[in-house]
Amino acid sequence: MSEIVGIDLGTTNSLIGLMDSGFPVLIADKEGSRLTPSVIYFPEKGDPIVGSPAHRMRVLEPEQTVYSVKRLIGRRPGESEKENLPFTVKSIEGRMILEVGSKRLTPEQVSSLVLKKLKADAEQSLGRSIDRAVITVPAYFNDLQRQATKRAGELAGFTVERIINEPTAAALAYGLNRLRDRSKIAVYDLGGGTFDISILEFNEGVFRVLSTNGNTRLGGDDIDREFVRFLEERILGRHPDLRSAVEDRVFLARLREIAHAAKLRLSTEEVVAIEIPFLKGNRSYRSFSYSMTRQELEAIARPIIRRTRSHCIRSLDDAKLDTTNLDEVILVGGATRMPIVRQFVAEVFQRLPNITQDPDEAVAVGATIQAGILSGHVQDIVLLDVTPLSLGVETFGGLMNVLIPRNSTIPCKAGEMFTNAVANQKSMQIRVLQGERELAKDNWELGRFQLAFQPVPKGVARVGVQFEIDADGILHVLARDTQSGVEEKVELSSAVDVSDEAVEKMIAESLDNAFADMSERLWTEMVLKSNELIPAVRSALTMVGDQIGPDENQKILKLVGEVQAALEAHDPQRLKKANAALDDGTQNLATVLIDRAMADAARRKR
Amino acid sequence: MIDCFAVLGIERRPVVPESVLQLAYHEKSKSLHPDRAEGGDFSSINGAFQIVSNPAARIQHLLKLEFGEAGDRQIGADLGVLFGTVVKVLGRADEELGSISGQSSPLLRAFAFQRWDSIRDALDDAEKQIATKESELHSRIAAVDQIWLHDRRQCQKPLAQIAVDLTFVQKWLAQVRDRKIRLEELL
Repeated sequence: MSEIVGIDLGTTNSLIGLMDSGFPVLIADKEGSRLTPSVIYFPEKGDPIVGSPAHRMRVLEPEQTVYSVKRLIGRRPGESEKENLPFTVKSIEGRMILEVGSKRLTPEQVSSLVLKKLKADAEQSLGRSIDRAVITVPAYFNDLQRQATKRAGELAGFTVERIINEPTAAALAYGLNRLRDRSKIAVYDLGGGTFDISILEFNEGVFRVLSTNGNTRLGGDDIDREFVRFLEERILGRHPDLRSAVEDRVFLARLREIAHAAKLRLSTEEVVAIEIPFLKGNRSYRSFSYSMTRQELEAIARPIIRRTRSHCIRSLDDAKLDTTNLDEVILVGGATRMPIVRQFVAEVFQRLPNITQDPDEAVAVGATIQAGILSGHVQDIVLLDVTPLSLGVETFGGLMNVLIPRNSTIPCKAGEMFTNAVANQKSMQIRVLQGERELAKDNWELGRFQLAFQPVPKGVARVGVQFEIDADGILHVLARDTQSGVEEKVELSSAVDVSDEAVEKMIAESLDNAFADMSERLWTEMVLKSNELIPAVRSALTMVGDQIGPDENQKILKLVGEVQAALEAHDPQRLKKANAALDDGTQNLATVLIDRAMADAARRKR
Repeated sequence: MIDCFAVLGIERRPVVPESVLQLAYHEKSKSLHPDRAEGGDFSSINGAFQIVSNPAARIQHLLKLEFGEAGDRQIGADLGVLFGTVVKVLGRADEELGSISGQSSPLLRAFAFQRWDSIRDALDDAEKQIATKESELHSRIAAVDQIWLHDRRQCQKPLAQIAVDLTFVQKWLAQVRDRKIRLEELL
């Protein structure tokens, strides 16, 4: 039997490994690093360049360089506008397409280039070819994202033997030497672009995932982005004439690099000097320097990290455990190097986290172990994983009818019987959904299919549909006519027409808004908001103003002044902007306020 | 009809100790999981485990196997009051969730947070009441389980009532917990 490699296809970095005499070993790329940046540079002419050479081009030619493509994989157009990526993402025939120079690529094509590089470099290093792989995905990836990842693997020339969840893989890496253990652990996985929390039970070689939760758009990238915004504000505060320089794409890419590097250093250092020379101003070049403290970075990161809290609570709740039942909380993902993340995890789980696993490598090591299980090299482990999201169909009245609840162990299946609502009905449309909300429209639509009926009286037709989620977490649908006994595999068609409709609707709404902005109703609403907001800001400043420093106090008062000026000037556009700026500027104040309220509440309960 | 107890190779009765269930499930996993060389129909094992590990679903399944029907019953009279409490507190929570999620200003949200305190207390209180009811129902299952060994027929009615009550109690508990978490999420 040929070998199987394990691959961690990460937002920021990717890794590949292979079992070697019973041990998982990661393979370095051509550049000598086990961490291959998931960055692809598309030169004007010639083949794309992947990895650290491409990473260097990110600052020089940001528009030709693609990264964080994992945030786009398996997504539909219209879901990505918040991503704020420097390269162009377009919707063509209902599919998401990246436009780089003259090239047009799907996210899975781009991902496959990273996988090809890993494959080629590993083959060169091993001196033999490899064509079977286990690839990791965030546990909270839905069906479409898993399918797209699998396709990326196939495009790279792999037979994808298994799609495995990242926190589960990390748990394997942690558990390999603890096969005799009986324990319960949580894996807190905060990577570059995604967050997962999984709770597992180890029981003498059976590794069972009890629950998983997460957010596929939450990670270290978000901290970088806020950090860049923070620096932009500082630069413009000091040199207002640098606006055009600061908005330049090349400069932004450079600033991102600087912010990212400073963030990494601030995990171990208290202060980092940020130096940016040669900023092009109106008349002359300027330089900018700033002493960034860890405390300032933590103020930026706190609201982002706080968003992981409810996922942790949900996963514990779903596992029917509380923090006292857990034996360990394992940290993985680069962002968990930040001291504030460790503090936060300690707070949520009420114990010091376990940092024995390499945050960058644990997932790849786990994927390699899973590859070993599949190829028969690892014998004494059984891994029981779950599907992260509930699967269901839309029922009458736009509700979601759950057929397979979240956290069901996979593979699993569920059947549902459909019948005709009127006599001689030829077919009915079934919409397949994934998600936790009660209304169908609030969930992910995986696709839809038509179910054919025989021409019979109302309620007589009987077609059974079986939904099966395989060990990769990927859905298969079978329809079976109970009268004819005919069974067939159902292909889901994507909801392309719907997203086109949605896009049109969004455009129409935004046009409406353009005119509505002038309307009296909106003006009244905005005035009401301002009248509610200003006293709230004032009392917040009285309550906790001393905790945010004089600079921020001043800044907020200035923003309040602008809202008042806009009110007096009766200028709707200006008021809208001023309100938004005040909302933005009081974010930190709101956080301080909530912290206080929570501390108060905790004190009262005691 | 599939007998989930038989699929897992465990005794068919109202109470299944967790250790017994886990052992049976793990044994089946070790031979039938698709990662194992032999492999097998592991989906059926998972389906059976899902039913047997959920008390309300287990009792319902047991009734169907044993008596051919789960019984069509109303919730117990003693649950009526609790039902009223749950509906009220969920309504309040949903109203607040709706008004807050439309609020874009972080500061106004922070002020609303102080108001949520009373809602959270109400949710906590409802959760405690439901949980008490749940453990009461579990004790009743344990009592019926003793009778089960010598007279199954006699267990049908009480079990049917427990199945209905427990289904609702489990659902309410999940709903109340969900609202608690969603309030937190809005912070």
